[in-house]
Amino acid sequence: MRRSSPARLAALGVALAALGGAGCGMPDPITEQGEAVSRLWTPTVAAAVVVGAVVWVLALWSVVRYRRRNETLPSQVAEHIPIEIVYTVVPIVIVAILFVVGAATTTEVEEKAADPDVVVQVEGFQWSWRFTYLDEDVIVSGDGSGTDGPELVLPADRTTRLELVTDDVAHSFWVPEFLTKRDLIPGVDNEIDVTPTETGTYRGRCAEYCGLDHWRMYFQVRIVTPEEFATWLEENAGDVDPAAEDAPEEGEGAG
Amino acid sequence: MTTVEEDPRDEIALTPPEEEPDRPPSSVRGRGLLGLLTSTDHKVIGLMYIVTALLFFLLGGALATVVRVELYSPGTQVVEPGAYNQVFTMHGSVMIYLFITPVAFGLANYLVPLQIGAKEMAFPRLNALGYWLFLFGGLTMVAGFLTADGPAAFGWTAYAPLSEAIRSPAIGHDLWLLAIVLTGTGTVTAAVNVVATVLAMRAPGMSMFRMPIFTWNMLVTSVLALIAFPVLTSAAVMMLADRNLDAQIFNPEGGGHPVLWQHLFWFFGHPEVYIVALPFFGIVTEVLAVFSSRPVFGYRGLVLATFAIASLSVGVWGHHMFTTGDAATGYFSGLSLLIAVPTGVKFFNWIGTMWGGRLRFPTPMLFTIGFLLLFVMGGVTGVLLALPALDFQLHDSYFVVAHFHYVMFGGSAFALYAGIYYWFPKATGRLLHEGWGRVHFVMTFVGFNVTFLVQHWLGAMGMPRRVADYLPEDGFTLLNRVSTVGAIIMAASVFPLAWNIWRSLRRGEPAGDDPWHGHTLEWATTSPPPPHNFDHLPPIRSNRPVWDERHPEHREVAHR
Repeated sequence: MRRSSPARLAALGVALAALGGAGCGMPDPITEQGEAVSRLWTPTVAAAVVVGAVVWVLALWSVVRYRRRNETLPSQVAEHIPIEIVYTVVPIVIVAILFVVGAATTTEVEEKAADPDVVVQVEGFQWSWRFTYLDEDVIVSGDGSGTDGPELVLPADRTTRLELVTDDVAHSFWVPEFLTKRDLIPGVDNEIDVTPTETGTYRGRCAEYCGLDHWRMYFQVRIVTPEEFATWLEENAGDVDPAAEDAPEEGEGAG
Repeated sequence: MTTVEEDPRDEIALTPPEEEPDRPPSSVRGRGLLGLLTSTDHKVIGLMYIVTALLFFLLGGALATVVRVELYSPGTQVVEPGAYNQVFTMHGSVMIYLFITPVAFGLANYLVPLQIGAKEMAFPRLNALGYWLFLFGGLTMVAGFLTADGPAAFGWTAYAPLSEAIRSPAIGHDLWLLAIVLTGTGTVTAAVNVVATVLAMRAPGMSMFRMPIFTWNMLVTSVLALIAFPVLTSAAVMMLADRNLDAQIFNPEGGGHPVLWQHLFWFFGHPEVYIVALPFFGIVTEVLAVFSSRPVFGYRGLVLATFAIASLSVGVWGHHMFTTGDAATGYFSGLSLLIAVPTGVKFFNWIGTMWGGRLRFPTPMLFTIGFLLLFVMGGVTGVLLALPALDFQLHDSYFVVAHFHYVMFGGSAFALYAGIYYWFPKATGRLLHEGWGRVHFVMTFVGFNVTFLVQHWLGAMGMPRRVADYLPEDGFTLLNRVSTVGAIIMAASVFPLAWNIWRSLRRGEPAGDDPWHGHTLEWATTSPPPPHNFDHLPPIRSNRPVWDERHPEHREVAHR
């Protein structure tokens, strides 16, 4: 047959590359919540690759081993109850384990601080973002031009509550390096907590298709030290973006 | 063909054709176009379904090629973002609603009566109505291309409130919704027909647990369709009312709730995933048994697994909505993980069927092996997506795009190809060419993996789905180029198939009644079958009566 041992080795090589290739390309997390996702991602991808490899090996082994060599009628046994029980129970055990570890991580990721250090209202609109620092006099708003978008400045080592709202259509707040996203839906109050651990600038995206310029509904996230953050707040206090004055009504932007 | 051996079933072929006294009088009213337009013959309607769906498949594939070419590089290559959004919307819509769902019911129309030894479907006229609803519904959807503002551009999921008239005013969206109502109604009629046919029209001796697995799976698929499609058609009517009658059902500005659309849509959408998977599981089960010269391993367990998948499939829709914050993550994660178990059981049934067999590898078997290798990859990535913490990162990214293409193309479409090569001789009396079949398989297998394997990486890295463009500094360019090259190979793989069908219809090797040494009743009649299907039925004492008749020495150990 066409598919012989070298092909099988190549397949395993691809699978191992999936493991080795930086966890399928998943970025390194830059938040505490993202680190929890990362700890779940690596072993579950490994388990997925192993399960896939077992099926590949069994299927390709059958192809090679049982290809027609003569006209002898093969065994016509069509049942083997003990094996059937085993191959039902083993997957149940596997998914039960996955369920437990998955639920634990989900709880960890979704955990909300009792008293977050910073609260930012994140408003999405067609096709940009507005970041309102509640309890502070700072608003940063995009105008939908270009591909940089507005900048969300967050302090490292502090927990920020992001309140995700929109008045027009559904959007989704996604910073790939956070290893999480959450939708913005009119009439729904979603929020997530993030506790950044690394300073730097990262690109955020809208992940829910929202119309014409969905693809360039970008924003920047800049993680700074708490001291720099305090300075930044002071410098930008009262710097209310003109476009944000009439925010609720004009939330649709160009839409 | 290399597998032609002595045909112990010649006696059947030599049986003189009887008169056709029981032929349904309405089945054939004329020849040529008039015959097609008025036919209520399940075989004619089945073939019309399949051919129509394959033509929509060509359209969907052409649109997919536009998507991939556009994403070859940052910046605009061939279409602006507005047109791109229409193209990806119509690609998904055509593939799901107008290709993979109806082609399954086309196969069922052709095959279910033959597999259970019936003359016709239970409701021949309803059958014709279903096809015409599908055809004109499909034409309604693609008619959007002829309107000034183009076809629908709200994605194949039509999420509210983007799909409200104020956000998506083009008439193409109304045509899309109307098409959902029409084709959905057609699917319901087809499903009613399959259920009634399987329950009421089986030949003497064909007990439920002697039915071929394809027929079993179509029965379960049809029950699922009866659960899922009325919800979709109702939701589409509600959206039409929102758009045209100010109903405000999904519009938050009028007090409606956009998430309700998502619940209704995915209450259809997740059973739909199995509606377009189970029929194809049925195909690979049949092909593996026949080309392994073995019975289906664990037949009863396989049927029970199908029941389990169907039952669980109506309780997992929320895993499409983890990031909305409006779906109970624990419940939907648990059920979604659980549905992997019966699906995994099926893999062991398939491998157990091959195990210890005498495997032959004509084209149907090649595509079936391809199915096993690719579908499992869609399966394990699905398990990852069932974990909410991981889904929060991967949802709406190219990882999901890769996942469902491994399920729906690597799985369902590969199995469909297997079915086309397997049953083409039955429907036409001629075999497809093996050499061209192998070319088709290799191009499809290579092109598919080059296109979609890299998309797992793109998604995990951070590329959202449904984006018309990306930036050079994103670092997505190389993998997108690889993916586009793969898509070109896939697009080119259509040509060996089309040529093969064209040439084989004219000068393909005559197939005879049973070119593959089949197991099930469709191989007990002529190729193509007469209007009344069977001149003679073998005794039905197991789930493979044709095999039993060829191997009388084995009857005592045959499966019940």
